[in-house]
Amino acid sequence: MMQVIIDALSNGGLYGLAALGVGLVFGVMRLINFAHGELITCAAYLLVVCLPWGLLPAILISLAAGTVLALLLELGVFSRLRGADPAVLLIASFGVSVLLQRAYEAIFSAFPRSGQAAAWLSEVWDVGGSQISRGSVVTVVLTLALLGGMKLAIEHTPAGLQLRAASSDFKTAQLLGVRSSRVIAAAFAASGLLAAVVGFIVFTQRGQVDPQFGVNITILALVGTVIGGLGSLMGAAVGGMAVGATISVLSNALGNDRIYTYSVLFLLVIVVLLVKPSGIFGQATLKERV
Amino acid sequence: MTAGATLRVDPELKATAPDRHLRGVTQWRWTEVLGPLVLLVTATYACASVSPGMTFMVEGALALLVMVLALQIFIGNSGVLSFGHGSFALLGGFTTGLLTMPSLIKVNALDGLASVLQHAHANMVTGIVAGVVVASVVACVVGAFLMRLHGLAAGIATFAVLMVTDNVFFNSRTLGPGPQVMPQIPRFPTLEASLALAAVSIVIAYGAGVCRAGRLLRASREDYLAAQALGVSVWRLRLLFFVLSGAMAGLAGAMYAHHSAAISARDYYLQFTFLTLGMLIIGGAGSVWGAVVGCAVVTGLSQVLLHLEQGLQIGNLIFTIPDGVSGMVIAGTLVVVLLWRSTGLTRGREFRLPRIGAEVG
Repeated sequence: MMQVIIDALSNGGLYGLAALGVGLVFGVMRLINFAHGELITCAAYLLVVCLPWGLLPAILISLAAGTVLALLLELGVFSRLRGADPAVLLIASFGVSVLLQRAYEAIFSAFPRSGQAAAWLSEVWDVGGSQISRGSVVTVVLTLALLGGMKLAIEHTPAGLQLRAASSDFKTAQLLGVRSSRVIAAAFAASGLLAAVVGFIVFTQRGQVDPQFGVNITILALVGTVIGGLGSLMGAAVGGMAVGATISVLSNALGNDRIYTYSVLFLLVIVVLLVKPSGIFGQATLKERV
Repeated sequence: MTAGATLRVDPELKATAPDRHLRGVTQWRWTEVLGPLVLLVTATYACASVSPGMTFMVEGALALLVMVLALQIFIGNSGVLSFGHGSFALLGGFTTGLLTMPSLIKVNALDGLASVLQHAHANMVTGIVAGVVVASVVACVVGAFLMRLHGLAAGIATFAVLMVTDNVFFNSRTLGPGPQVMPQIPRFPTLEASLALAAVSIVIAYGAGVCRAGRLLRASREDYLAAQALGVSVWRLRLLFFVLSGAMAGLAGAMYAHHSAAISARDYYLQFTFLTLGMLIIGGAGSVWGAVVGCAVVTGLSQVLLHLEQGLQIGNLIFTIPDGVSGMVIAGTLVVVLLWRSTGLTRGREFRLPRIGAEVG
């Protein structure tokens, strides 16, 4: 039971981080970034490649790689699509995602690369007769710390203020002197950093990377962002947590039918959207005009 | 004085003329239907005359074209993105596949099948019709709920439909082959069968856009609130077009099944969805011509790259590109086209004969 709760928390935290990364970028430029998964994959690949040099340098390089790749995507592709329809942005980000996956295949081959990031994490603690995996606990602590840190940064720093202003009303923020390109670049950088952290956590869980490494978690994070409420940063994080925790709980509750976890999850997603189309924390976008 | 005023107005009217094409057609023009049809027939026979391999390839491309047209009917006219049409294609393909495959093979290969499905049999025409009917019934039920949504919420909800369908059909052995393939589906006797279905689909897609309901739906795409204020039930119109395009997606799925002879649930999943969506966006979602052009361009490009990967011989020289590059080039092309023209190659316009002296673009 203890393990179920810890699993739900750690899974929730993980998807919350991924969804926050997606939500940061969505807030400032209405881009549902499918290529977020490839940021996660890139960070994980660099982690496994640099592991021989020690864990700490590998982690630092992989964090830097996630951030730099996110900035490159913004400069190379998305900054040229300002003002495009959200559907076009979404399809463009999907194109980028496939392009990067093929590039990973060409560079690292389609076969998974495995490595041991931190052997300590895959062991278990014995607490009162029940076994609790260290990885889950560390994930919970790490995600809570990061989410808390992001919340502080967003709510109490000038950059965070500008980001929130740009998220809630981009044009007005621009008129009031918020430098749009800088805010968008900052959002991409932060989202790349979060993606790298997610890449590290998922890598310690799976122990291997392949070109499709980040796809699944990104799909679920995107769904979490939409459920939480597009345009609300905390909503995105909470939505992602809800999706992650639901998956954990469902796959425990369904027993032998756990192959149908995603069916139940996505039916729930449809129900949430029908009841509250703008998401749990979102505001209705289609307002009556005077 | 009056004459002068009239003269001053005229250039403005001319200036707004291309805009009408951008918003989509308002009346039936034969050139706009015949253009895509001529391209379809010429390209099909040109490819088929090369080799049996190319004939097979072009038959598959025709199934994809019908899928792209199905997407165009809904996405192009309503402006709402749908990722869920793969579900309807899957239903079309699985229905006709289960009905038409030899019963002996069905008993042996798909032993977990529900007894109703195990005993049902039909010929190919009935199978395809049944596939279209099943797809449209499911599209009607799903659409009745989802068409209340707008924008990205609608997009994600249709995506959820695709995920549910894939999850159910990939795992269930009572509804189909589960994770395995459904084998021995009879193949189309001739290429003309696919060609005729594709041609009919082009005419239907064009007609749907031109008819009153299509124009009303496009009005709601341009200004949702204004269309509602004029008494248009946007929900009803979207549902109508969702069902029509779901039915056509079912047809596309059935065509794919009779083309490849063996299908699995994953054939209609993310890759299929984004390949066809990519074709539509590259060509331009606003027009039937865009759907045809997008499909032709992507198919042509991937064929050229495939031949390059296998080694293309020109004179004494053999050109090759490394394996895997073609995937990168196609995805890269999609991105570059969007950066260059975010409304697609045709900019959402229907086919027009080039006029001498007309402005370019």
